[in-house]
Amino acid sequence: MRDLIHIIEFEDLLQEAGNDLVRQAKEEGKRALGYTCNFMPEVLLDIPGCFSVRLRAPRSTSPDIATYYMTNRTCMYGRCLLERAMEGGFNFLDAEMATETCTVTCRFQEHLQRMDVIQNPDFFCEFTDVPFKKNENSVDHYTRQLQAHVLDKLHEHFGIDVSDEALLKAIGEHNELCRLIREIGEYRKLDNPTITGREFQIIQLVTQVCPKYLIMDKLRDIAEQLKTREPDEKPSWRCKVVLAGSEEDDPDFTKLIEECGALVVADRHCYGSLPGREDIVVKEGETPLYAIARHYLENSQCPRFMEQHVMRDRKAYLANVAKEYKADGIVIAQMKFCEYWSYERTIDTVVLNRDYGIPVCSIEKEYVNNAVGQLRTRFQAFVESIELKKLAQEQKASGGEA
Amino acid sequence: MIYKTNEAKEIRLFSKGWLKDLKLKEAAAAKLEKLKATDFKQKAAEAAEKIKNLDAKKVARDFIYGKPHEERRLGDLYVPGTGLYKHREWRGVKDTMYYFNMIWLYNYAHMVTDIMKYGGPVTALKGALRYRWMGQCYLTVMHWFDRGLEGTRGEALRASAWHYRGMVNESIRQFMRMFSADKRLNGGEANELWKNTISHDETVSGNIFYGWRDRMDDVALQMIPYFVTCHVNNHTVLNYIDAAQSIGLPGDPCPMCQAEAGIFVLNDVPDYSPVVVTSNEACDGSVGTSILQDWFLDRPLYAMPQPMRYDDPLVQKHCQEEIEGCWRFIEEQTGQKMNWDEYVKHAEAFNKLTEFEHEKWDIAANTDYYPITGVAQALYRIYYSQDGDRDIWHFVDKKVKRIIEKCVTQKINSFPKTRHRVIAWSCAPLYYSHWCTWAYNCWGLNCIINMDSLMFDQMLRTDTYEHALEDLTWFNEKAPMRAMAVGGHEHIFQLWQFMERFNCDMVMMYDQLACKGMQGVHGMFEDEFRKRNIHAIWMPHALPDKRTVSRREIRQIVNDYMFTVMHEEPLDPTLLDFDDNDSW
Repeated sequence: MRDLIHIIEFEDLLQEAGNDLVRQAKEEGKRALGYTCNFMPEVLLDIPGCFSVRLRAPRSTSPDIATYYMTNRTCMYGRCLLERAMEGGFNFLDAEMATETCTVTCRFQEHLQRMDVIQNPDFFCEFTDVPFKKNENSVDHYTRQLQAHVLDKLHEHFGIDVSDEALLKAIGEHNELCRLIREIGEYRKLDNPTITGREFQIIQLVTQVCPKYLIMDKLRDIAEQLKTREPDEKPSWRCKVVLAGSEEDDPDFTKLIEECGALVVADRHCYGSLPGREDIVVKEGETPLYAIARHYLENSQCPRFMEQHVMRDRKAYLANVAKEYKADGIVIAQMKFCEYWSYERTIDTVVLNRDYGIPVCSIEKEYVNNAVGQLRTRFQAFVESIELKKLAQEQKASGGEA
Repeated sequence: MIYKTNEAKEIRLFSKGWLKDLKLKEAAAAKLEKLKATDFKQKAAEAAEKIKNLDAKKVARDFIYGKPHEERRLGDLYVPGTGLYKHREWRGVKDTMYYFNMIWLYNYAHMVTDIMKYGGPVTALKGALRYRWMGQCYLTVMHWFDRGLEGTRGEALRASAWHYRGMVNESIRQFMRMFSADKRLNGGEANELWKNTISHDETVSGNIFYGWRDRMDDVALQMIPYFVTCHVNNHTVLNYIDAAQSIGLPGDPCPMCQAEAGIFVLNDVPDYSPVVVTSNEACDGSVGTSILQDWFLDRPLYAMPQPMRYDDPLVQKHCQEEIEGCWRFIEEQTGQKMNWDEYVKHAEAFNKLTEFEHEKWDIAANTDYYPITGVAQALYRIYYSQDGDRDIWHFVDKKVKRIIEKCVTQKINSFPKTRHRVIAWSCAPLYYSHWCTWAYNCWGLNCIINMDSLMFDQMLRTDTYEHALEDLTWFNEKAPMRAMAVGGHEHIFQLWQFMERFNCDMVMMYDQLACKGMQGVHGMFEDEFRKRNIHAIWMPHALPDKRTVSRREIRQIVNDYMFTVMHEEPLDPTLLDFDDNDSW
């Protein structure tokens, strides 16, 4: 396929957290608000006068100082973020809008609170409590939390307009971006997709780490180009997979999977678009903030949710994604030391295969992915097993012996 | 000999040649050979010489009162390579008699009468044959006493032993309820007890269920199969950890959560209730465990999570509604209405326990007359506060109160060899909860208080429904392993205030290697210890899993610190190093 427009530029933007667009927005007087978890609604951080930056630590190597503080028995994502913060890589942040949604990122953010890490006199770090359920009580609670710990704080520290009008404007812009991402993502459903998993992940990541108003035109260009983009005559992939799991912000990891012959057609992980890029609908009688709170709880598929039906529905959701995107299997990748996904991956690996007949490749990985050789072997074997399964099915269908 | 289990599995107990395998003839011949080679004359002469050199007064004193601390040589009591005792220590006439009669005999007798009282020997036997944890732990109970009470004398021996008695009684009551209601042990039928028992995650406090205690009972799913067994026989839990990993769970999640999941993987929890209540306490791993629990239990489940930022005033309403949601769930599922008067009765009774706990803390903090060992304090506190109001706790507290009053009025220092007053922080190694006893005997390190004892520190008002709910909410938010470990770094760094309050000069810093929350603040603690010039010993461990860091390695780490940093000499050098890996 021909190169996708802006993709090289987008790749460059992902090379550091404080990228060119972040700097540009700061120069234009906007406040940079960091966050780590999807439970901090980015739409709230994108209200006029601010922009959200989901924290990453690209090009990390060995987080030595962070390992002193957090030991080598914690998730490397959290440690790499702390290391990057200590290196000065997040000094552009005016605030960190924190959540205690998983232990290690919480501890990382507490380091920002307790130690003088971010060299920015305006910087503050504020925590929001996020519920574990999706019921009405939880939506009410979440709404109160977002009001007190996000909106009120932004107004108090930076004089940001947090009125309903400002929120509605942010929701409108957010929905526009989501519409574009969904449009781009639709091409992954084709029998022969016209966008690779890696390309899509780069685009999705850029929408999370750059000021959105500076990339909207580029997204429109990409959506336009995809309307006429022709796939390769002979596909380079041998099967299609869903990439599911915990934190995943490394396009090179997706590239590794695709180099092994498995095209990544859907992304159901912490930094993915499924779920995450659905329109926020303000229902009649709802305040914009309540609608945002409800939206983020209702749509999330995080293994943190504890209600019985939600725990069970998560499996069905993942199976449906695989079906909708015509995937042949699912790769469940878990960041080492992530407790939530340790359990979720274990159960998914059994249930998705047993109850839904979907082959699963279950792996554990580090944030700095040094185990490329081993993972390549795993993925190659997985692709081969899917091919063999397909072959057997074809033979069975044609009356031959498997 | 072939034995049939309840599931009709056949177990061959002895192979045909088992008698032959013992090689009794060879062993007898070797013994005989040894006897022949012994020079009895010389032995007798040596013994006579020894007797001649004895200080009769001292011998009599040691016999009557027991040896002074430095001369006890408690390490010599162990059978090398086992951690088991050759014999129990001689504590002087009075204390040895007390130990034999009021601890050993009294508790063995009650272990039988408790069984009779709570369901009978047939039910207990069925349970012992069906559930691995029961079979492996019942007869090792007295060794648990021995470990926790080693070296104690006088009032410390008595007060600490009463704590153990309380825990044993309540454990028996709970597992007998489990067995009596268990579908598996009752021919697959749901009996009345099954219908009238609420099962819940062990991290959900028993206080939640007070409103049904006049008609129903609540029993934690893992408290006995996992938590208690870790203390009584530390080998038992390893099987459950391995079972969890056998289905693909990685090795790094908290081993407590792994073990809790493992008992479900092996189907080793009685089926004693139609419902289950779970919680997110204490950490991400607990949330993960509830996914597995749901999968294996497959029955109506109510998740009752606590807020993470719990001291934010805005979270209370949400938490209160979740508790009320739990009550509605029980009413809907069981058809039994909550009895408010019953709640009030138990909440007020529980306040009495909390009041006494505060008195205990006060004495521990401000005097030298606190007679309870660190391990008895820690286990009893977590056990009763998690379980909620039961008669046995009041019985024990009454006994202990009398002893404490005696200590205070007569100024009895039960730990006179204290060199350092230690506060233990973070989560303790379950397989070595009795480290405090060893540390005092060996080094004079007296563990005054531990972090988990300070949880659940909340009086429960009962004057109005609103007040009751408000306090119950706070109570549950301040649960073990969570009150200090979540909700902001300021909670875990309360250590400095508690050090001051309890007049401690040293920290035993538990380093639970798989606890992400505590690992995540490791460096900040290091910085603070240096800044504040505090002596802190990091004690690495893996909660229930002794294979990661053994008891012996833990002792070595403490020894190294005491020698190289503190430049101190042990009170009892025989305790410096011994191998108790195979011990219960």
